[in-house]
Amino acid sequence: MTESQAPNNIDQLSTAPPCPVNDTRLRLDRNIAGGILSHPRSRRIAEEIRDLVNDVAWGRAGNDHIPAIRELVEELAMDPNAEEARKLGLQVKADLKDNQEVFESHVQTRNCANGACTRLAPAPCQTACPAGIDVPTYVTLIGQGKYAEAIEIIRRDNPFPWVCGLVCTRPCEYMCVRGRIDTPVSIKSIKAFAAERAFSEGNYANPLKAASNGRKVCIVGAGPAGMTCAYYLSLKGYDVTVIEAMPSAGGMMLTGIPRYRLPHEVIDREAAMLEDLGVKFRFNTVFDVDTTIDRLKKEEGFEAFFIAIGAQRCWDLNIPGEAEFATIKAIHFLRNMALGIRRRPGRRVVIVGGGNVAIDAARSCVRLGCESVTVAYRRSRDEMPADIEEVEQAEEEGVTFSFLTIPKAIVGENGRITGFDCQRARLVAKEGGTRLSPVPIADSDFIIDCDMVIPAIGQRVDDDIYPELKRTRRNTIEVASVSMETRTPGVFSAGDAVLGPATVVEAIGGGKRAAEGIDRYFNGIPQPKMPPVPVRRKRLGCIEVPAAAKMTLKRPEMPHLIPERRKTTFQQVELGLDEHAVQNEARRCLRCDICLRCGKCIAVCRDKMGIDALKLGYFDFDHPVKTDFRKIADRCIGCGACAMNCPNHAMTIKDKDGERILSLCGTILNRQPLVCCEQCGAVMGPRRYLDFVQKRVETVGNDIRVKRDICDNCLREQSALSGAEISTSPKMEE
Amino acid sequence: MTFKKGQHVEVFQRSSDESWAEYMDDFIGRHGIIVDPDTSINDPAALVEVSLEGKGTHRLPQDSLRVLE
Repeated sequence: MTESQAPNNIDQLSTAPPCPVNDTRLRLDRNIAGGILSHPRSRRIAEEIRDLVNDVAWGRAGNDHIPAIRELVEELAMDPNAEEARKLGLQVKADLKDNQEVFESHVQTRNCANGACTRLAPAPCQTACPAGIDVPTYVTLIGQGKYAEAIEIIRRDNPFPWVCGLVCTRPCEYMCVRGRIDTPVSIKSIKAFAAERAFSEGNYANPLKAASNGRKVCIVGAGPAGMTCAYYLSLKGYDVTVIEAMPSAGGMMLTGIPRYRLPHEVIDREAAMLEDLGVKFRFNTVFDVDTTIDRLKKEEGFEAFFIAIGAQRCWDLNIPGEAEFATIKAIHFLRNMALGIRRRPGRRVVIVGGGNVAIDAARSCVRLGCESVTVAYRRSRDEMPADIEEVEQAEEEGVTFSFLTIPKAIVGENGRITGFDCQRARLVAKEGGTRLSPVPIADSDFIIDCDMVIPAIGQRVDDDIYPELKRTRRNTIEVASVSMETRTPGVFSAGDAVLGPATVVEAIGGGKRAAEGIDRYFNGIPQPKMPPVPVRRKRLGCIEVPAAAKMTLKRPEMPHLIPERRKTTFQQVELGLDEHAVQNEARRCLRCDICLRCGKCIAVCRDKMGIDALKLGYFDFDHPVKTDFRKIADRCIGCGACAMNCPNHAMTIKDKDGERILSLCGTILNRQPLVCCEQCGAVMGPRRYLDFVQKRVETVGNDIRVKRDICDNCLREQSALSGAEISTSPKMEE
Repeated sequence: MTFKKGQHVEVFQRSSDESWAEYMDDFIGRHGIIVDPDTSINDPAALVEVSLEGKGTHRLPQDSLRVLE
């Protein structure tokens, strides 16, 4: 099937929401194919426009395409030869004018936000990533052993591949289509491997930055949002200075995530890449104390600001004894540890809360030598917001959990904590809602013996910093959620300061959007109203994997440090995957940037051919059905109807080395020996296919092929010869 | 916390919450998966991180979401 034939199939079956580029393409197709343009010149111009629009819809357009389309459309709209041509020209002109940004977005991102332009529909993993990383491309590159190239692709959207490889909450894996078959591809861990390998081989490099534009931007906070914004602004040629209260870069990545999960060296190495790029850091500088926005504006000439101050304040327990006895908030405890204060907080410690911060604090206490560490949580294990893996690892290390435990008071004597007074709880759904709330059980008081209580019940944004900025009712900084601009001109914000305590990758995504917003602010370009479309960085071929291997390859288990070592040191717990496991894991990827799971292959195989070999139940998002690629070969006849109807060349069929091979994005679904014509040697197809055809035509009459393998041409020749003898003889006699 | 990590949900209605942006109207009817159930522990008003099929990952108010069985 040629590329120009593909769209006709797409149009008939596409159920994606409309896209102006696709609509324009269809309009042109209809007019050309329907013979509406009768004048040859008009038809030629319309065909040229259609070819250019196809390029836009298929991700092949360059910067010259849209001006060229505009020029041709003008010509068509002025065509004196035909009224229909003028009408079409005006319609396409209006399409272009009304949807200029969408056309440009297709050219720039090589993705179609609606997925209507089938070749440009982004993969679910890429769409899910808050930073919009082109996951299928870098996973394929990792599978090919091109680690530095993979990191270069990742850093176009996320300057911290190594950090994210270790601590990302991995929305991509939740949306990974492979998870509908067995388990998602371990995207996070293979990214960490590639980053580590690129660094260790000295191939982790910065891209070329634009020439300086002389504009100064100040970023407050060297966390993931602040540093991401700094990175992308610096690449665009801005003079960027980052102000940070701490003595080194990282923000919550440094002070909130313990070293056994994210070693400081990882943050240091990736932050150093920003310094190499020319980003200036001012450490130990507290915003609104050591410097103010006025001073930065007037004395230093900064023209725009990015406020990424995080959510550094903690909630209090508000129970008796909290103010009387010396407790330490989890976030302060973790910060102190990150800064080198590594004294154990007590011998017997209770951590209050059920989130990741509570677990991080508990596991750190174990490492500091606390004799008993208990996490007290108001709800049950099922309701805990902490990562299940983290909870399990904490249990392995000896942390105990007291669920359904409501704090009542901190008790003690002589100024020292002696116990934590609690009440048992039961979960009750409040009237009109499904949310289960803990309700104290009467006379169920009990005391947990302890000498330190560490509250970890959530964080909030410090409202004393830059109080002039408008806050939301959640006390976060109010911004336009796409451009990240605040109501104060030239001031942008993102990360935890905007979302409340959220994730590293969300902060990175916000920082990247803010960099774009700041650049538009300087250039007087209106801010976008819709979230950005993720950019397809490359369109790589697929890695060939036999169906059996595709099914038997399993998500690798991350090797962990032994619990005994984990109890005594801050050594990294996750030891990382080896190269063999990483490459095999990349081979599990289904390449959803190419296979859009439109189901046309399934429909044609089942409904048109009546074979029903393609049992690809994972195509359905809501109700996936168990899929086994190996079973396809049991019924597939190798007819190629699925490949012919695939709009994106995800399903391919080829004859090679005496075999017909059917593949779906590199997964070899069927491989059958080819039968050749006994007379001329031409390829006829696999035996099953020939039998299928034979069965379909057997009612028509006896076929010589029943006994011998003869191709159509030879058969025709044979029939013609025998027919000629029969029919010509009587005539000759006459 | 009403939602749990990995749960399938539907954006079934617009929210009157201040965090609801105009572009989120396009999300109504979309299905997705809970990635991070809340930003603030035990806060019924906390924003929930959801990956929506074909629409990306967003923080949405809880009253716009319902769990799919």
